Amino acid sequence: MLNVDGVVKTYETVRAVDGLSFEARPGEIFGLIGPNGAGKSTTIRMIMNVIVPDAGTIRFDGKAFSESMKARIGYLPEERGLNKKVKVLETLVYLGVLKGLDSKDAKARAEAWLERFGLAEWKAEKIEALSKGMAQKVQFIGSVVHDPDLVLFDEPFSGLDPVSQDILLDAVLELKRRGKTVLISTHVMEHDERLCDRILLVRGGKELVSGSLPDLKARYGENSAQIEFDGDASFVSTLPCVESVRAMPRWIEATLGEGRDSGELLAAVAGRLRVRRFQMMEPSLHAIFVKLVEAAGEAEDD
Amino acid sequence: MTKLPAIIRHEFKLMTANKTFVILTALGPFLILAITVLPGLLSMNPKALSGGEPIAVSGGGPGMTAAIEAASAFQGRAVEAVGTDAGSIADAKRLVQSGRYAALVSLADGWEDSGGSLYTKTGTDAMLYAAVERVVDESARQARIRRSGVDPAVARELTRRVDLSIVKLGTGNTEKAGGESDFVQTLFTAMSFVMLVYMTTLLYGQMIGRSVVTEKTSKTVEIMLSSVSPRELMFGKILGLGLAGLLQYGIWVSLALALSKLVAPLIGIAAPPVIEPANLAWLVTFFVLAYFLYASLYAALGAAAEDEQHLGQLAWPVLAFLIVPLVMISSFVSNPGSSLSVVLSIFPMTSPIVMLIRVLIAPPPAWQIALCLGILIASVYAAATAAARIFRVGILMGGKRATFGEMLKWLRVR
Repeated sequence: MLNVDGVVKTYETVRAVDGLSFEARPGEIFGLIGPNGAGKSTTIRMIMNVIVPDAGTIRFDGKAFSESMKARIGYLPEERGLNKKVKVLETLVYLGVLKGLDSKDAKARAEAWLERFGLAEWKAEKIEALSKGMAQKVQFIGSVVHDPDLVLFDEPFSGLDPVSQDILLDAVLELKRRGKTVLISTHVMEHDERLCDRILLVRGGKELVSGSLPDLKARYGENSAQIEFDGDASFVSTLPCVESVRAMPRWIEATLGEGRDSGELLAAVAGRLRVRRFQMMEPSLHAIFVKLVEAAGEAEDD
Repeated sequence: MTKLPAIIRHEFKLMTANKTFVILTALGPFLILAITVLPGLLSMNPKALSGGEPIAVSGGGPGMTAAIEAASAFQGRAVEAVGTDAGSIADAKRLVQSGRYAALVSLADGWEDSGGSLYTKTGTDAMLYAAVERVVDESARQARIRRSGVDPAVARELTRRVDLSIVKLGTGNTEKAGGESDFVQTLFTAMSFVMLVYMTTLLYGQMIGRSVVTEKTSKTVEIMLSSVSPRELMFGKILGLGLAGLLQYGIWVSLALALSKLVAPLIGIAAPPVIEPANLAWLVTFFVLAYFLYASLYAALGAAAEDEQHLGQLAWPVLAFLIVPLVMISSFVSNPGSSLSVVLSIFPMTSPIVMLIRVLIAPPPAWQIALCLGILIASVYAAATAAARIFRVGILMGGKRATFGEMLKWLRVR
């Protein structure tokens, strides 16, 4: 469906995107993951033809972008910007009509979506009357109301409460089930772990790693220990067998050093913490990301 | 361009629901009332304008009171004689201070040779001053003639005044002898028309600019451009607001016609001669052309601006072209055929306003009107084309204060 090949975009002196390539297929959720400023939004804007790449090509079903394709694409930009003075339903109908729906059809679809998102009673209110989360849901509806084949979601979950996140998550999964191509950009890795079939990790406009999640995790093996405990675990990061940790007050993910044994770690923590769970598993996406970023950082320092 | 009608409809709806639009449309009729009926009403009832307080006259001999009363009749004032002693004059001055008298004309002995004084609170009522001065001057001359022993009949014949009447030459050698008031009314109405075009063009232009820059800064434009082309977005806005403007003018013009053709005769006053369908058609024509020209420019500037403040700075040179003809308006009115008037009525940035004045005051040669319209329409086309290019590049250029040099570069982008 979507083929991005070697795109480059330079602003003034900053190379925002530096030769990214990837492919998103129908029925697949593709994750574009990276820290803030990695070039994710720039990439999505280039796909949307909102900005033009300096080099590289972007193709839809093998064809270059044309105006008529806009009707088949849905876009949720990172920054929310609906006209505050317009009513909710009117906004959605307008967005639908601009995508080629007739206004009656657009109205019926918009109302169904509002119902689903629990916003039906807000349809006659102006956007300015909505909370930030509600406005974001409305904008999400605006990006899918015309039933596009390809949807681009730029940080769709930011600023939403857990219940709203789940509603959105369901909606995204349904798009996947119906064979749509979904591209999500985010820096919240937990979402990708639950959602994405394949991912592309970006940093500084360049690819760190890409592939399907299981493949990626397998590449790093089961060298990650997740420990639930009571006590003070600050010493874990200083243990010789541990390469890196990600610590929460009562939970810790410790990545073992090359060739180290999990027994060594268990013995070390068992005496000093009240361990409630100790499990060896594949590293989380977060751990992989941190590891890769650190490695890249060291490479740059050398 | 299938989505264009949807954008036009949306922008039209947004605009007509806007408070400023509603207020302006509602207030317009008052302005129209002012330019159609009010001049006639005022000439029927001058007291409404002057307040009608009497004038006090001290001294000046017999007949002076009556002469001044006759001369100030245009303001509907009465005249009261007061004594020439110091006490009466001091009293009268107090009454001028308190507003009971509009003025005190004090003519002490020997006024025939040395003149007198006009005491007023404001010192700015030039028309009253001119009227009284003429009477005093004339009376003094007559008194001096009597004193010299010249035959009054001979003196009258020698000092008789003559009038200069205003005759307006229309097309086809028609002559229309109008009084001074007719001329003033024409001027008044023409100025109002010009102000209307100036105000609405400026207002709508700025609204376009602001709307574009707001969508740009709030990123609404990204959502819009994921559905429509920049060209469609820009022209949708311009046409949508333009339609709203036309609706407004439609309401005003119908009202003006109804008032002048139906209501004015009914209450027995004459509407200004300028208010006739042909002139109203010119008004709408020049508004439409001025609007499209300035709306295109403002759309381009709005897209290039970083925020509203920056837009204000960028718009200055454009604004200047709108203001210049307004500042020089009296020159165009008194000399509609001067080479300056002709040049500025053909130069597209100023022509809508200057040509409108000329058409209303003294119809210029047909070739000049044709040239003006031709150049103006071509300029609208050129401005819209250029604006579409600047818009396309500028609208997505974030975090940068574009200069005019950069905008010129954008014109050449593919």
